[in-house]
Amino acid sequence: MTTLITKTITKICLPLVILFSISLLLAGHNNPGGGFIGGVMFASVIALTYVVYGLDYIKSFFDPDWGNWFGFGLLLASVTAFAAIAFSHNFFRSAVEFIHLPFFGEVELVSAGLFDIGVYFVVIGGLLFIFKNVGDDR
Amino acid sequence: MDSFTAITLAVFLPFILAGILPAIEKLLKEKIGWYASAVAFMSLLLVAQAAPEIIHGGTIQKSIEWLPSMGINLSFYADGLSIMFGFIVSGIGVIIMSYSNGYMSKKEDLPRYYQQLLFFMGSMLGMVFSANTIQLFIFWELTSITSFMLIGYWRNRPMSVYGATKSLLITAAGGLFMLAGFLVLHAITGTFDIPTILQNESIRDILHSHELFILTLVLIFIGAASKSAQGPFYIWLPNAMEAPTPVSAFLHSATMVKAGIYLIARIHPIFSGTDAWFFLVSGVGIFTMLLAGFLAFRQTDIKGILAYSTISQLAYIMTMYGYTTHHEPGIGVAAATFHLLNHATFKACLFLVAGIVAHETATRDITKMGGLRKEMPITFIVATIGALSMAGIPPLNGFLSKEMFYEASVEMGSLLGSPYNILIPALAVLGGVFTFAYSIKLIDGIFLGKRPSKGLPEHIHDPSMVMLAPAIFLVGLIVLFGLVPSIPVHNFIEPTVSGILLQEAHLHIKLWHGFTAPLFMTIVTFILGILTYTQYSRIAEWQNKFNARFPWISVNYYYDAAVDNAKNVTSKFSNRMQPGPIKTYMLALLLLTITMFAIPAILLASSLLPSDLNFDIPLYEIIIYLFMIIAALGAAMLPRYVPAIISISGLGYLVALLFIYLQAPDLALTQVLVETLSTIIFLLAIVKIPQKFKEHITKATLTKDLLISATVASIVFILLINATQGIVPPFESLSHYFIENSLPLAGGHNIVNVIIVDFRGYDTLGEIAVLCLAALGVYNLIQSRSDDE
Repeated sequence: MTTLITKTITKICLPLVILFSISLLLAGHNNPGGGFIGGVMFASVIALTYVVYGLDYIKSFFDPDWGNWFGFGLLLASVTAFAAIAFSHNFFRSAVEFIHLPFFGEVELVSAGLFDIGVYFVVIGGLLFIFKNVGDDR
Repeated sequence: MDSFTAITLAVFLPFILAGILPAIEKLLKEKIGWYASAVAFMSLLLVAQAAPEIIHGGTIQKSIEWLPSMGINLSFYADGLSIMFGFIVSGIGVIIMSYSNGYMSKKEDLPRYYQQLLFFMGSMLGMVFSANTIQLFIFWELTSITSFMLIGYWRNRPMSVYGATKSLLITAAGGLFMLAGFLVLHAITGTFDIPTILQNESIRDILHSHELFILTLVLIFIGAASKSAQGPFYIWLPNAMEAPTPVSAFLHSATMVKAGIYLIARIHPIFSGTDAWFFLVSGVGIFTMLLAGFLAFRQTDIKGILAYSTISQLAYIMTMYGYTTHHEPGIGVAAATFHLLNHATFKACLFLVAGIVAHETATRDITKMGGLRKEMPITFIVATIGALSMAGIPPLNGFLSKEMFYEASVEMGSLLGSPYNILIPALAVLGGVFTFAYSIKLIDGIFLGKRPSKGLPEHIHDPSMVMLAPAIFLVGLIVLFGLVPSIPVHNFIEPTVSGILLQEAHLHIKLWHGFTAPLFMTIVTFILGILTYTQYSRIAEWQNKFNARFPWISVNYYYDAAVDNAKNVTSKFSNRMQPGPIKTYMLALLLLTITMFAIPAILLASSLLPSDLNFDIPLYEIIIYLFMIIAALGAAMLPRYVPAIISISGLGYLVALLFIYLQAPDLALTQVLVETLSTIIFLLAIVKIPQKFKEHITKATLTKDLLISATVASIVFILLINATQGIVPPFESLSHYFIENSLPLAGGHNIVNVIIVDFRGYDTLGEIAVLCLAALGVYNLIQSRSDDE
């Protein structure tokens, strides 16, 4: 699978797909998308890079511990869920706020969005953690 | 800070601060023990903050709603009893964690050790301050689990693992009995709230006259007895001595084993004053006291002697809490409470000494020791005071509570009349005699006599102050409580006794109170104790012989047999249930589906297909379906793995296409991505195995498989037809609720996403937690396999 064509396409795709996955994550509340889809997209493109360029080569300069990613995601999601208690609301109560920012116009801030970011990190971390371990296995 | 906040913080701070302990460890390195001690000290201060209010006769009670619909709340209740336990747990916690700095080698996994100690301390504090029986149960089982981890701290030693498993099996199972008892109690009284039952005499009257009274009592008592190693459940405690010595001192002498005692004291006002209470609690107590005291003779391990002595001493306390009559519900309460406090001081002290001795001599076998008094003078003095307090020698605190024990026994006996007026005091003295004998053995065997010529290191000396200071502090308490009993009595015992008896209590405890029956009994104890000690080794030998001859007269024999059997049966069962090939599991699942559908279908005997079927499928969908069928056939029939996998993923993409036609863009996107990723993973894995299907499928198997697949497919088809035609569930669809409310309630236009992250966020949290666990599971599978190779 490591032909010149796939290598070149992967190189071009990588940044685009990552940006697209972030946009899916942020747009999720009102448009198709969300943390899960964004996360799987991110994970797929990294997985593609691993496959095309070889795990060992990629690891020589880019080797994050994906375990930390899903740990962080789970923590973030749980904290968002519990945060409502600190403001003496029910567990998992979400809050919505609209603010005006220059250039962006009206921006919606949702606490559920933070939760979605947690999901995003868990999906990326979990999938790539599995992927890398299966790939590393001889 | 108000007292309720202080108590809540005292319970939860250890958990939170233990959570960040690994991060702190990076800064402090091997000094991390001092951080843990500081956390324990903080809890101690917080408990002390709440204490004055209790000592002046008040109680603290407040709850935060948790599951209000079921009457389960996060609620804390503090009275004298809880505060005294709070002080014991956090105070001994500080002492033990400081001591561990000297005891634990720097090479050990210190973060794990201190983290679990702090978790334990938090659970224990949570338990003693729980106002709700369900909450009490949760913290109760948490102490069992942390105890399990700490006993098994040295994971590679088979005996640690054995001891840890034993303690978990017995204490956690006992906890389940207790839970059952609490549920019956709830059924009778209608509440999970302990203070409500304590404050309502009418509820207690209903309970006392209820036919399930005895059952409730027995169930809860089994929980208490298993935790406090009473009756036949004692067997886990001696094996728990495989834990690091500070752990034994903390959990298995001073605190966790007292959880059962705590429970008995907590339910004392609810159940006492009945015959059942006396016979159950005191009966089991006296029996355990004598048996464990007697069995201590056989032990050659210092910690073994201490373990049996702990069981016996806990049985004293249990017995005293059991002393009750209808008119005098709390004869032994004051004595029991005082002994509880004293036992925590002298037993923790003796365990610390055992740790010091083992640390310096590298053995715990008392037969190999002797004559260490010259080399370890300070340890010798500390140990002597501790052991003499346990033996009940004046003017130490053990003497006072032992006298009170005798006094209570005499009173109880005389209230019951003949033959109990002789029997109970006599048994009490016998228990005291055993205690006296093994206490002397500890001093004599380790420190007095001649130093054995071999087996001990050449240079033995007192340890550093890090290890000595905690023990010396405890000795200070032993002497202080003995000489000035009014300090503990006024601050701890009186509030506790008032909390248990639900009335103001005033006690006068003095060293000397004339020539009374208890004094006479003490003197008899000393004389008989010395006589027994002269026969010590002979008794031990006789016990060994007896044990070798009748191995089946022992609880351990039955425990081991039961556990071995269980292991055999479960391994046979799981071997049969999990033969390996996935096809077998699929077959079971599919057959189950068929039966689940077939039974109601036959019973109802209704027509399976609605008569007015309305198939209005656009042409483009039909084309997709055709392709899907081809892809599915390809996946089933292609002879090589790679084309088959590509067929499967083709099927997946076609499904995604279908989702787009059905106007579900989120689903389509997810489907495409998941399909891509799983194909990549599949292909990566598949290149490593042979590329041709080797399995030869016979015609019979093929027919059978085809039949089952066809049946399942038709069932799914029928179910779907019925569901989509709106026939089977005559219910309204839920979707309109989400469509209407997603914007106003959650501020989002994308309903699917709002459902995932908001309406059903709790589900999602569970799902991502599962994903994390799955990732860890895969990791462990791969790692464990490469370890085997």
